[in-house]
Amino acid sequence: MKNIIFTLLIIVVMAGASQAKVDLVTLPSRDTVQLTIYNSADMTLVRESRALTLKDGKNKLQFSWANTLIDPTSLEMLPKADADKIDIAELTYPPRVRNLGLWNIESGVSGKVPVEITYLTSGLSWRAFYMGTLTENEETMRLQGYVRVTNNSGEDYENAQTRLIVGKVHILDQIAELARRQYPYGRPGQIEPEMESLREELDVAKKVMTRTSLRVINLALTPKPKEIRKEGLSEYFLYTIEGKETIPTGWSKRLLSFDVDEVPVVNLYKYEEERYGTSVVRFLSFKNDKEHELGETPIPGGMLKVYRNAGGEGHLSYTGQSSFKYIPVDEDVELNLGAVANVVVEPKLMDFKTENYKFDRRGNVSGWDEIRTFKVEVKNTRDIDVKVEIKRNFNTTYWKLTRSGDFGEFEEVDKDTVKFTLTLKPRSKRTFEYVLRTYHGTREEDWR
Amino acid sequence: MVLGLVVVTIAEGRIKLVALPERAATVIRLDNPRATLIEEERVLTLQTGLNKVDFSWKAVSIDADSIRLRVLEHPDNVTLLNVSYPPNEAALVWEISSDGDYAETVRISYLLSNIDRLITYKAIADKAETFVDLKSYLILRNFSGEDFAKARVLLDYGESFEQGIDHEETKQMLFLKAAKVPITKIWTFDAARLPWDPEQLENQNVGIPVSYRIVNDTDSKLGEFALWGGKARLFQDDGHDSTIFLGEDVTALVPVGEKMELYIGDSRDIVVTQRKMRDTQINKKYNNDRSPKLVLYDTDEIITAKIENFKDSPAVLTMIQHIPGQWDMEKCNLKYEKKDANTLEFEIKLPARTPDGPATTELTIHYHQRNLRPGVNIRPMPTGPQPIIRR
Repeated sequence: MKNIIFTLLIIVVMAGASQAKVDLVTLPSRDTVQLTIYNSADMTLVRESRALTLKDGKNKLQFSWANTLIDPTSLEMLPKADADKIDIAELTYPPRVRNLGLWNIESGVSGKVPVEITYLTSGLSWRAFYMGTLTENEETMRLQGYVRVTNNSGEDYENAQTRLIVGKVHILDQIAELARRQYPYGRPGQIEPEMESLREELDVAKKVMTRTSLRVINLALTPKPKEIRKEGLSEYFLYTIEGKETIPTGWSKRLLSFDVDEVPVVNLYKYEEERYGTSVVRFLSFKNDKEHELGETPIPGGMLKVYRNAGGEGHLSYTGQSSFKYIPVDEDVELNLGAVANVVVEPKLMDFKTENYKFDRRGNVSGWDEIRTFKVEVKNTRDIDVKVEIKRNFNTTYWKLTRSGDFGEFEEVDKDTVKFTLTLKPRSKRTFEYVLRTYHGTREEDWR
Repeated sequence: MVLGLVVVTIAEGRIKLVALPERAATVIRLDNPRATLIEEERVLTLQTGLNKVDFSWKAVSIDADSIRLRVLEHPDNVTLLNVSYPPNEAALVWEISSDGDYAETVRISYLLSNIDRLITYKAIADKAETFVDLKSYLILRNFSGEDFAKARVLLDYGESFEQGIDHEETKQMLFLKAAKVPITKIWTFDAARLPWDPEQLENQNVGIPVSYRIVNDTDSKLGEFALWGGKARLFQDDGHDSTIFLGEDVTALVPVGEKMELYIGDSRDIVVTQRKMRDTQINKKYNNDRSPKLVLYDTDEIITAKIENFKDSPAVLTMIQHIPGQWDMEKCNLKYEKKDANTLEFEIKLPARTPDGPATTELTIHYHQRNLRPGVNIRPMPTGPQPIIRR
């Protein structure tokens, strides 16, 4: 559907007369169109090139955007040739007409002039999602990244160069709301937009879109999957899809972003009572770097569905899913696949005592120590190596800890949290102990 | 509308209609963002004696107390005696005394509602983010109820210009263009506003706010006048004859010599992990009760922040830390500027990521809060928003 319509009114001012002759010309369709689609906001930057036929003197270009979702305040037109001879003096939104604008152009040349028109629209979106396929031994994973581009803009974009922006931009107004304003810049002393009527219009627009999208039946097929070129710009990443795409309104398209065969993964299990209760939670961990066959660009956040190869005939079993955040290059990825029962962490309080009592002048207890001995049993019932992280939180910052046994790596995370990291062989068990002394009342003064 | 201007001469009885005077030169003065002043010139046919001039308006909103009349041709012979307001009418009546018969040009000025101007900015940064090509647009909005076929529009600076604008019309005009305006890119971590420990967040990135700073001075090819407040949209040259949209922000008025800071978006390639590693009470003083109560103490606190730069370019992070009340710094491994009693600002240079991994910078602040009194000072903890509450 073509809803953005440009009409060229050529107004030649007659010498000595105040009347003008008006020629109406509908603009030829777009020569090229480029879409830059954002996913942190409902926003797309559209850049199209068209050829205007201008006459020497005053020209008026009329455009209308009824039934689209474009932000009229974002419209800009720039001549791509004879820029010094063409003055795009002003843009007028005439009274009592909706969805219409007029550019006043002073041209010093006569003939065809290529122009570039840019604007922001809503209704196009994209998201990333992933498929992971673990090998049977779960040492590596095939990771396939996809992007899915959806066009609900009300406008068909044919043969568009399609680009996607990964990153979080700051915007003040929703483009969809700007698109539905009665007056592009609102009116003085009034808060735009009027939400209720807006919503109705949006519903209507959606219905229209659904209906018109049924017209389109076939999608162009390409003999091989398209490549996506990735590059960094400012705080964002720009993905450019090879070639041109036609995405009619109402349709979406899935494209392969990357496909890495053997990403080494660590089967990480975490235990933290304050966060996960008494269950062990499984994570799949890898790093966005070269060693993991990745690290070319950041990985945009999205949902990952994880499967595992089952048997030799290409059968799969579904392991679980996890959403993950944006991963910069060289950062660790930890994908939460949920609670499991095949790795067990069991901390047990083995001994409790108090000592070092202090008394005030009235003979009341003013300070004491509490000593707890914990035994932690970690069991791996799986057939593969696992890594286990155990976090313990204390309710006080006045504590001392001594540890014994097979406790692996130990780290003080913050003032009241410690972490034990252990690696377990298939079907194995490790046990360690720690003694926690906490200082209470006036005994706090004797800490450290 | 609109303006009815009726001259009634007393000597001739109750009513005498004079042809409605045509509006001559009109000025729309937009130098005050809170109100728009209209000045218009009209010719009044005055007769010797007392003249009553009726000024009324319909379908427009005029502040009646703002209406002024100025006699332009015979100020010594024509005197405005008084102004009266008829009941239940949008009108006023001037009593003008004249010592002769004149076709007198007068200037009527008044504050008209629902006509104003907006300013917007559009800036395109180069790929290296060192400068922007800045454009500013003036947007005239007329919803006053009045059509202005032709008016002289005045802003608070720059040349005035002729422009007609009808009721319900909006016009957008380019009025400032400055190429290659230098910018500084700033990343800011404020410990009071951002979460401290990203590991505590489930699948969420903590974005570090990124801003562009533009100085309104001659070095920036600006500095001629204050830059009005308005919405700014920022784009960047992508190196492929195209641009990407970087973000948008609203700027307040920027006087000459001052800075404009535009927040464009969040960086997720700089990661700050801030943790409190120690928070204990020291130098405790008790009272002489038989069960002594704590009356005064200091604290011993250590905060660490690990700053990782995952970008392949260096960056300067502005880090803001807050310590409430009275305090002493025991040790701090990076230089800071004390912005006020409770605010520390660090300018931390972050090198680019290397093939071995992100560039990591560590900040350790070891300080003491002094002379805290239980129950007297409620000690605000200098902690950031903690999305996960641990018991």
